[in-house]
Amino acid sequence: MKRRNEFLVGLAVLAALFLVVAGALWLSEADLNQKEATYTARFRTVEGLQVGNPVTLRGVRVGKVVGIRLVPNGWVETEFSIDRDARLPAKPAVIAASASLFGGWAANIISFEPLPDDPNVRAALVESDQAGGAAWPGATLPDIGQLTAQASRIASDIASVTQRVQGAFDSAALRQLRQSVLDMAAISNRLVTFANSQTGRLDRVSGNLVTTSDAFAGVTRSLDRAVARVDSATSQNQLREIMNNGRDASGDIRQASADFRQLMATMRANDASLVRVLQSADSLLTRLQAGNGTLGKLATDSTLYYETAATMRQFRELLADIQAHPKKYIKVSVF
Amino acid sequence: MGRWTLGATRALGDVSIWRPLVIGHMRRLGVDSIPIAIFIAIFTGIVLALLASYIFTGAMPLYMVGALVGKTVMMELGPVLTGMALAGRVGANIAAEIGTMRVTEQVDALETLGYDPRSYLVVPRVVAATLMFPVITAFAVAVGVLAGWVTSVNLLDLSSVEFLKGLRLFYHFKDLWFGLVKSASFGAAIALMGSLRGLAARGGAEGVGEATTRAVVLGCEAILVLDAFWAVVLL
Repeated sequence: MKRRNEFLVGLAVLAALFLVVAGALWLSEADLNQKEATYTARFRTVEGLQVGNPVTLRGVRVGKVVGIRLVPNGWVETEFSIDRDARLPAKPAVIAASASLFGGWAANIISFEPLPDDPNVRAALVESDQAGGAAWPGATLPDIGQLTAQASRIASDIASVTQRVQGAFDSAALRQLRQSVLDMAAISNRLVTFANSQTGRLDRVSGNLVTTSDAFAGVTRSLDRAVARVDSATSQNQLREIMNNGRDASGDIRQASADFRQLMATMRANDASLVRVLQSADSLLTRLQAGNGTLGKLATDSTLYYETAATMRQFRELLADIQAHPKKYIKVSVF
Repeated sequence: MGRWTLGATRALGDVSIWRPLVIGHMRRLGVDSIPIAIFIAIFTGIVLALLASYIFTGAMPLYMVGALVGKTVMMELGPVLTGMALAGRVGANIAAEIGTMRVTEQVDALETLGYDPRSYLVVPRVVAATLMFPVITAFAVAVGVLAGWVTSVNLLDLSSVEFLKGLRLFYHFKDLWFGLVKSASFGAAIALMGSLRGLAARGGAEGVGEATTRAVVLGCEAILVLDAFWAVVLL
């Protein structure tokens, strides 16, 4: 009995153990034959991506997420177990996105080049790629919840606008609008009547303009005749003589003008010399006034004046003495 | 009850007394309970699949039936329903057996001979129930999921691929060990309640009946309390 108990208990325990282990491996799709390779991708955030979520390549499941961990510099590294037979792009990138409306997420493998059109995804992939290392660049799309929340906000805005439009176009506004249309129709009718009445007047004005034009034509003809008469008056060369005299006077004036222009040019040429002469004179006068130089001293020093006057007086006395006693000063001998 | 539990814990040290008795109790409390657990699991799986289909049709993809059946059976209904069933079978068995020994003064005889009745009567049953309840629950979970799968394929418009997709979609290993850990605690609680009420039985057959009833009730209550406890602690 004891043996039987041990056998049954052992059998039950082993069977349960097998069920648990085999069931766990089967449900988690464990890779016992090493048919899968492990890769890493780097994200700023993985949002709803969790361990066990599928990894897809062009929509086909090729693996699953096997690990998510925080790493330094604000990155999140995600490990993927991917079927070795799957032909990956030359430079893969990963986009984590919501896979269903019920909270399921998936990691989609794409080629890094060309980059996706979405500017946010593009920026996230480039930033992740620039971080370096062996990890694939990764980006995360907004959760469906966020998108639906955004859509909900847009719907609320549209509802609000609709309500405002509805409020603006209530029955009173519609009545006013209808009245405005009727008023516009009445104004249009009046404009038609006014235009009809003015058309007759414009016709009369046009007739008057034609008459005026005919009158102008008559005036023109009269003017032609007057010109012809003037022309006949010039047949005796009176006008031609006047014109010739005028032409000669014009030539003289032109010659005088040329002479005057030449004179002005000469004056303009001498202008610089004149300025220099004036500056020199000014400088000389200034020095004279300051008593510099011989002339300055002569002009300002009274001693010289008196000395000169005394010299002149002595010279005059000398001349008088020479005239009075020439032999005292001049001796003339021939031999 | 605390003092009693302490005494039972101290009795764990008398390994030479309770170890030879464990296998026999494992057979009676565990192996012999597997059929009833499987029976319950079959119908639980069937009902869950039909219920999930009823809830999800038109609102969610039907592969979610697999997710609901798997998660629910592994984490909640497998351990709890099995525990409830075994609270009646095992708890009542232990309470009636020990209670009868108490009212027929066999327990007193053990004490007179110098044996600790807790080492001789309580510990082997508690150890056996603690070890065997996860085994029974493992069978129940496997059969429950299988029953849900078969029901989904045969009674619902659902393929095996879709059912397995849903089953695997939200599966985590924690789902499995969470249920097994819970069931071990249920086994220990049921065996302890049965032993406690059995040893506390007084009078004759009426006292044994009352002890049995109270053991079952206390066992069920302990399962619900522990279920909430593990949910708070482990989820």
